[in-house]
Amino acid sequence: MKKLRISPPAAALILAVTLFLLSGLLPNGFGSDMSIARAQATNIVRLAVFLGVIAAGQTLVIISGSEGIDLSAGSVVTLTAILAYVMIKGNDSMVLPAIGVVILVGALIGLVNGIGITYLKISPFVMTLGMAGVVKGLIIILNHGNVSGKVAPIMTSIIARPVVFGIPGAILIWVVFGLFMWFLLERTPFGRNLFAIGVNRITSTLSGIHVPRMNLATYSLAGALAGIGGFLLVGNTGVVFISLGDPYLFPSIAAVAVGGTLLSGGKGSYWGTMSGAIVLTLITSLLTTMQMPESVRRMVLGGTLLMLISIYGRQRALRQ
Amino acid sequence: MNRRRWNQLLLRYPFLFALILLSVAILVNAILQPTFFTRESLNNNMRVFLPLMILAVGQAVVILGGGIDISVGGILSIVNTILATQVGLNGSPEKMWIYVGLSLLAGLAAGSLNGFFVSVLRLQPIITTYATSFLFFGIALYILPNPGGGIPQAISGLYRNTTPLGIPLAIYVIVLILLGWYYLRHSRYGRYLYAVGGKAEAAYETGVPVVGIQFSTYVISGLMAAIAGIAMSMLTGSGNADIGSAMTLNSVTAVVIGGTAFSGGVGGIAGPIIGAMTLQMIMNIISFANIDTWWQTFVNALIIVIALALPGLLNLIQGRKK
Amino acid sequence: MTVLLSAQNIVKRYGGVIALSDGNLEVSSGEVVALVGANGSGKSTLSKIINGVVVLDGGQLLLDGVPVQFPSPQAARKMGIATVFQELSLIPQMSIAENIWLTREPLHPTGTVDQKEVTERTKRLLKLFEGTFKTELTPDVSVSSLQPDEKQIIEILKAISVDPRILILDEATASLDSRQVSRLFELVATWKLSGKAIIFVSHRMEEIFRIADTYSVLRNGKTVGSGKIKEVTEKELVNLMIEKASVFTHARQNRAGAKELAQKPVYLTVNALATDVLRGVNLQVRRGELLGLGGLMGQGQRELLRSIFGYIHYHGTINILGKDVHYRHPADAIKDRTAFVPGDRGKEGLLYIRSILENILLPSWKEFGVPTRMKKAHEVAVGVGESLNLKMAGLDEPVSSLSGGNAQKVVIGKWLKRKPQLLLLDDPTKGVDVGTKAEFYKLLANLCDEGKTIIFYSSDDEELVGLCDRILVMHDGNIRTELVDRMITKRNLVAASLGASEEEQHE
Repeated sequence: MKKLRISPPAAALILAVTLFLLSGLLPNGFGSDMSIARAQATNIVRLAVFLGVIAAGQTLVIISGSEGIDLSAGSVVTLTAILAYVMIKGNDSMVLPAIGVVILVGALIGLVNGIGITYLKISPFVMTLGMAGVVKGLIIILNHGNVSGKVAPIMTSIIARPVVFGIPGAILIWVVFGLFMWFLLERTPFGRNLFAIGVNRITSTLSGIHVPRMNLATYSLAGALAGIGGFLLVGNTGVVFISLGDPYLFPSIAAVAVGGTLLSGGKGSYWGTMSGAIVLTLITSLLTTMQMPESVRRMVLGGTLLMLISIYGRQRALRQ
Repeated sequence: MNRRRWNQLLLRYPFLFALILLSVAILVNAILQPTFFTRESLNNNMRVFLPLMILAVGQAVVILGGGIDISVGGILSIVNTILATQVGLNGSPEKMWIYVGLSLLAGLAAGSLNGFFVSVLRLQPIITTYATSFLFFGIALYILPNPGGGIPQAISGLYRNTTPLGIPLAIYVIVLILLGWYYLRHSRYGRYLYAVGGKAEAAYETGVPVVGIQFSTYVISGLMAAIAGIAMSMLTGSGNADIGSAMTLNSVTAVVIGGTAFSGGVGGIAGPIIGAMTLQMIMNIISFANIDTWWQTFVNALIIVIALALPGLLNLIQGRKK
Repeated sequence: MTVLLSAQNIVKRYGGVIALSDGNLEVSSGEVVALVGANGSGKSTLSKIINGVVVLDGGQLLLDGVPVQFPSPQAARKMGIATVFQELSLIPQMSIAENIWLTREPLHPTGTVDQKEVTERTKRLLKLFEGTFKTELTPDVSVSSLQPDEKQIIEILKAISVDPRILILDEATASLDSRQVSRLFELVATWKLSGKAIIFVSHRMEEIFRIADTYSVLRNGKTVGSGKIKEVTEKELVNLMIEKASVFTHARQNRAGAKELAQKPVYLTVNALATDVLRGVNLQVRRGELLGLGGLMGQGQRELLRSIFGYIHYHGTINILGKDVHYRHPADAIKDRTAFVPGDRGKEGLLYIRSILENILLPSWKEFGVPTRMKKAHEVAVGVGESLNLKMAGLDEPVSSLSGGNAQKVVIGKWLKRKPQLLLLDDPTKGVDVGTKAEFYKLLANLCDEGKTIIFYSSDDEELVGLCDRILVMHDGNIRTELVDRMITKRNLVAASLGASEEEQHE
């Protein structure tokens, strides 16, 4: 007797489709016009890419457990976006070096997070929130009021425009990125050990896993992935400003939770996060379509996360 | 034996370390600013310090009870937007007290919401209050979508320039809070709070009402955040839904500097008050030190991270010696 | 004397395991009853039922002849039953006085705690043990700075501060020194005079005979004897605790005697191994030997195994096959083909929400390369599952879906694949069903025959006696007795564990 079980990522995807269809019924929705519906759907997924990539690192640190979280992701995205912008200056040949720098800078910030959390025993939440401030400070120094730079034409044409069959390059990049994340989590010892330390660090240590090293690697990797997120984001927007990455921070955590990754760690998938990113982008754009102000969007996001924690996040009762 | 003494001393007076830090900060401040000890600059400083000090008190109570409250900044923002819109340009100054009362109620309600989710539903404090903080910032933004509003000079002056007997109003507030704390600390409630933060299972075993105590800490924190919000509104005289966002981490840092352990059950509120003062004194020094304006955010943030790292660093060094 | 408390035909099950099938105890006011029994006989379960920590499944409790039920420890305390807990119920960050009077603080009319009164009362209590502390204790000293014996005494004072009618002392003397024990016994005498009833749970024979008026012996969850302590000898009491006909039917056949062992090469030598708990342990194990670790629980057996595995920091030397090693992390020990099977499966052995496959391959993922050769990994896991006769719905099911016995097989299975040379087993059969135990014993025998070396700690004395080539009995962080050849009997093991007088150790 096998019960029909729907995995959280699948549930999120079904939710996304349902919401999307319902949105068509709105006064200014797509109604019965299939070509508009297709264009809208494509656009939402394209917008979800940036949230999805930024939430990749978040997925890793949350899976690693022990209240793992990365609140510096938003600032790292901004910093790396500005770095790429300044380095490239509209020059295609600088794109590859910029990617390298962006990954390196992200990883370095992540490493500092990891050291604070692992060796100085600072709570991940507080440590990464503190680092967010430091990175913001760096941005202000770097920015000095305004920056001069430009994204490369090749970035715009690959990230922001349709590449094949009218599918934007960003979506194709996301698919490749998703495969990479799946590979990392499901087909490497790192991924297996990551789940292990997320469930139980004592069992992991007793099975020969170096937990501190894993922790450092995870936070570094999360930083690097946020760096890639910054690079992609600037490729899409074409401009940079001081709070570019901030609006992605809270949704990146919510996306992970919507995708069924346990906030207590040890269980989850990037494909869940991808679905979560689509759902959240959809909700946000729906609220925009309904002309809801920013305040309502925040309340809805906060309420969504609160609901998800209430469903998944109960702790052990005091008695037995 | 000597070491045991020192540890015992620190355990009983965990703010000793913060007090040393504060003395140094005051010394440096006084050197940089010769008028530091004048009545006027004392009042100036104290009224700026007060909101964070109050916020740190609420945060300390939650942390003492074994939790953490990330939503204090959001609650502060709600209060700020209420006052700025109602007392300020759109409202009437006469009804100020009603809205001050309303602000306090809002703080209590927000705290109860946190308390319900964390203690009754038993959700993880950090992520839960992070979620509610987003909710609270949303509400603040709803009340006041764009920075503005304002509190008439006549009213904000009450806070800014009241110095009964020549002593800044802020000092009266702090003394009042300390007296209230002194009473709580020595009532049965105080014992319960420390027991729950120290070892909730053992406290439960002994018959302490653990859930109720945890709940109450969030209510207190909500109330403190509301009071801090009132002070902050009077101080700035204007409204901004984002005003509290930087203050959450500062409140946590003040508690850490003040020697109240993250694990709960150790410390008090005197330490965090001193911690809040120290933190802001250091920020003062930086602004006096003629650092390039562009560098200030960075240096401030760096100091916060270093302050957070300090206990861990000290532990690491002590561990090495062994 | 009238009977104050009476427990009759108490039954308690944990899942499928029966902890108590027929527990009985009677105590009158002004009397000390000793509750005795070997490891796992149900002593602590019975005392936990009496103090309301555990709810009983059958039988009844009578207080003053009236049936009572305790939904919580507080309910029992209200009825005048106080317990000195083994797992300490103190809050480390709080002071002695605060701990003792928590929830019962005397208050001023203003609502604040009457600190003077608290201090006074605490001083009065501390006076009871005056002169037995290494340093002077004052009411305001924080509990975290106390030594284990001092904490235990505060725990006793906390229990007595409610002025109970019945006081349960559950291994309360385990961490006390002889002076403190004497003082406690003097106090018990005065408490008796004032009409209190005392239930004394202890392993120490000498203490039982010094203080108890009556005794009640538990064996395998059944009360098998009771009476006046004056009418029984130490030997008779030990005999009562031991099963007459052994139920252990899985005894290993070709066990090595001392002479045979001496011919085998030494695999592991441990010299002056010291940790917080261990006090300079020396031992030697030979290749193919099954060495048992016995003794009461918590005498350092776990720390010994964990030190050898590189999990806890230690001083001293460990030598494997003539080479000195000092592991800083279990990974180093694993490289040298050492395996460790912890007893607490949930906390230390398994990843509950992850799949069976992942649990089996947890220490081995690197061997399958990048990208992980999943087909190969699957084959290996299937092989391990088959060799252990693992009963499961599928390798992708979470470990939490398995029964206790099968879950434990997974913990062992993750090492078998790696062909370990040295196995460290930390009470691996706890909470495991009989059938799985039998399979497990067979597996151990096979491993030894293949020349693997095994160090085996068990809280089940039958197992040790039935399986081991040699048994080291541990006490207080050291090895107290070595049992070899014909000396390996249940009787000797129990006697050595309890520290019964020397002459009792020989048949």
